[in-house]
Amino acid sequence: MLPLWLLIQRTAIMITYESHTLSNGLRVVANRDSDSAMAAVNLLYAVGARNESSDCTGFAHLFEHLMFRGTSNVPDFDAPLQLACGENNAFTNNDYTDYYITLPKDNIETALWLESDRMRGLAISDEVLETEKRVVLEEYNQRYLNQPYGDMWKLLRGMCYTTHPYRWPTIGLTPDHIRDASMATVRRFYDRYYSPENCILSVGSGHDPEHIFALAEKWFGHIPATGFTRDMIPAEPTQTSARRLEVVRDVPATAIMIAFPMGDRLSRSYYLCDMLTDVLAGGTSARLYQRLVKGRRLMGATNAYITGDVDPGLLVVTANLLPETSVAEAEQALWEELRELANSAPSDYELTKIKNKFEAEMTYGEMNIMNKAMNLGYYSMLGDLPLINREAELFRSITREEIAAAAADIFRPERSSTLIYAKQ
Amino acid sequence: MIQPPAITIPQTIRVAQPTEQRLANGVRLLALTNPGQNVVRLSFVFEAGTTTQHKPFVASSAQNLLSEGSSRHSAIEIAEALDYYGSYFEVSLDRDYSVITFCCLTRFFEESIGTFEEILLDPLYAPDEISIYASKRKQSLEIERRKTATKARERFAHALFGDGHPYGVSYHENLYDDLTHNDLKEFYRRRYTAENCFVVCSLDDDPKRLARIARFAEQIPSTGCYSPVEIPAPTPSLYDFEQVDQAVQSSIRVGKLLFGRQHPDFVGMQVVTYILGGYFGSRLIENLRERNGFTYSVFASMINMRHAGYMAIATDVGCEFSERAVEEIRAEVGRLSKELVSAEELETVRRIMFGEFMRILDGPMGLVDVTIEATQNGTDNHYIARSLDEIRTITPTRIRDLAERYLNPETLTTIIVGNLK
Repeated sequence: MLPLWLLIQRTAIMITYESHTLSNGLRVVANRDSDSAMAAVNLLYAVGARNESSDCTGFAHLFEHLMFRGTSNVPDFDAPLQLACGENNAFTNNDYTDYYITLPKDNIETALWLESDRMRGLAISDEVLETEKRVVLEEYNQRYLNQPYGDMWKLLRGMCYTTHPYRWPTIGLTPDHIRDASMATVRRFYDRYYSPENCILSVGSGHDPEHIFALAEKWFGHIPATGFTRDMIPAEPTQTSARRLEVVRDVPATAIMIAFPMGDRLSRSYYLCDMLTDVLAGGTSARLYQRLVKGRRLMGATNAYITGDVDPGLLVVTANLLPETSVAEAEQALWEELRELANSAPSDYELTKIKNKFEAEMTYGEMNIMNKAMNLGYYSMLGDLPLINREAELFRSITREEIAAAAADIFRPERSSTLIYAKQ
Repeated sequence: MIQPPAITIPQTIRVAQPTEQRLANGVRLLALTNPGQNVVRLSFVFEAGTTTQHKPFVASSAQNLLSEGSSRHSAIEIAEALDYYGSYFEVSLDRDYSVITFCCLTRFFEESIGTFEEILLDPLYAPDEISIYASKRKQSLEIERRKTATKARERFAHALFGDGHPYGVSYHENLYDDLTHNDLKEFYRRRYTAENCFVVCSLDDDPKRLARIARFAEQIPSTGCYSPVEIPAPTPSLYDFEQVDQAVQSSIRVGKLLFGRQHPDFVGMQVVTYILGGYFGSRLIENLRERNGFTYSVFASMINMRHAGYMAIATDVGCEFSERAVEEIRAEVGRLSKELVSAEELETVRRIMFGEFMRILDGPMGLVDVTIEATQNGTDNHYIARSLDEIRTITPTRIRDLAERYLNPETLTTIIVGNLK
């Protein structure tokens, strides 16, 4: 085995990019990848479920569906793209809505044309709105109601957040909100959030960045700025006492989720919590799996992860209990692991392992131009594009003592929310 | 109004051919090299799918437990050796094949390859590890089988191939408890042999690394004999149904047993299936989703197996739409053999399929997957060019004829799992 210092040396993975802002406020980021015959075009609108009001949840996601239902110029979004050998999709989360396209790089203008067209000219009929609501209700059914454990996240969010809009899932609090969505809301939402100032265009392709900027100007430059201002989102008050919810469901195994509030995406807490969850559950050699699944045989599966939200998010620990394991036993075992992290710092070896793993994952992810384009859009939304190349360094700067201190700060019983999802 | 930009249709797709060597033990080693590539991927393909097992769950357990301890290192030591360098080991299994894949950063190749060797060549299959694995998998399969989609998939395979057929059979999760050390050891000895194996790797152009991989693969033991798997004739049935009271959606599977990739009509039928349900905007999407709002998604595709192949349509619809959705699916299938596809629709499908190939082949990892599939099918990466030629030249008449010959709606197998009360 190599000495540790050899492994922690600086490596050369850097995502190269250039960025430019059009006069209407549209931010453009271009990554050049000459190896690829494809272009990846990503449009990120900084609007998600966090921008919804509590009586109209699930709307950002419903709206994402409507963005594919045509404009006055282009009645069918997909058809011209498909003729250009392109493929596209989109997703909505709590923080943003992302539309992405891959197509042969020579056809990149088709993607820019279609995206610029639907930034301004969306034309939705009452009939289309009604059909799309039904599609989204079926998505609700397929992803949540028709799956074992499908409502766990909704229950957990509702417990962890009292004030911040992260308290509802992207799909919405109830199907009724989707059913009740009106054309007036559609119009208002579109006019408010789908503006060049609230959008980032990021492109990965073999094209020169200057060429991408010129094309961005050609297709998006004429779209007027709207004077967009950001929503004020209410902050979540500090949690002061433990919360707990126990439900009984027809599932094969009892599951537990324990969640703790953590810092926002740009805080140091984010990186510390990311490392904490890696010590607990990053790979098969990590603690929870080795100790609780294999060593003590209490659980069939365990995990620990962070939600990675822009506003202060959650660190979540989960377990599926084996039939012989009681809830009390499982909870105690999980808490022992959390407390141990707070009481004694992880070893240098564990830390190096996590840092190496981070580097490897970044390199594997780098091989795909769509990944790169999406990441550039995301970091640009965070308002700190260079962070994309600073993160490896940030991880390397974290010390054992800092991790233990973070564990002590995060894993407080009075800040925990525990969901027991018990089998009948 | 703004004029749409001009479109260029790529005329060819560059597909790299691997270099090939035959090792002393007879194993074919196919290498795809790319100067400066900072990741190494190694995939070992064995004819060790579920059709080759004599006892339920042996094939999947034998591959999943490869990394759980060797004669020299414990399971945790092996896990540490992988994680420490950010290297990983993953497996995939189908009815015919077991694929064992290793990945590492090029700069940690030397540190990782020994661990990879140990995992593939020296598994211990300790009883303790088997019992932990069995309880874990039993639980995850039980959870999986609560889903209507899983139930429908299993019933569909069963209906297409018939009772007890190795391509259609599935087993109760409790049978995980019966797995023994000897089952796995014996299966490994019989199936993880040079005769049943080929290797595809993707790496930079350093010949030393390729030579090291060859030394690794050369150690796969040869038994001197190759025993092909016998697949009996299928006995399809047309309908199966399961009532699930608490379901809010029905999982529907509709399909027909046809033929595999070696058949001269396979690519043609791929085009037919694409028109039907292969893309967003396909006839099934337009009908079931965009027009009727029955479903979030519906998809049709041709599935290739070593000794068979079939067409499959899959969707989950609101329970109250179940019967209407099946009617619409059958109507869309029937329309394929009644009407000629328009030139416009066919051109769209051609370009989508073309784009699909370009996307798969963009990047070294996709190329490994393509090479694996080509080798499994007894061909090489030139098959992409041949497929593209056929897609480019297929006519509306041939498409209608294929649908007429192979997709009579009366002969389709239909599965519904959901609440029909």
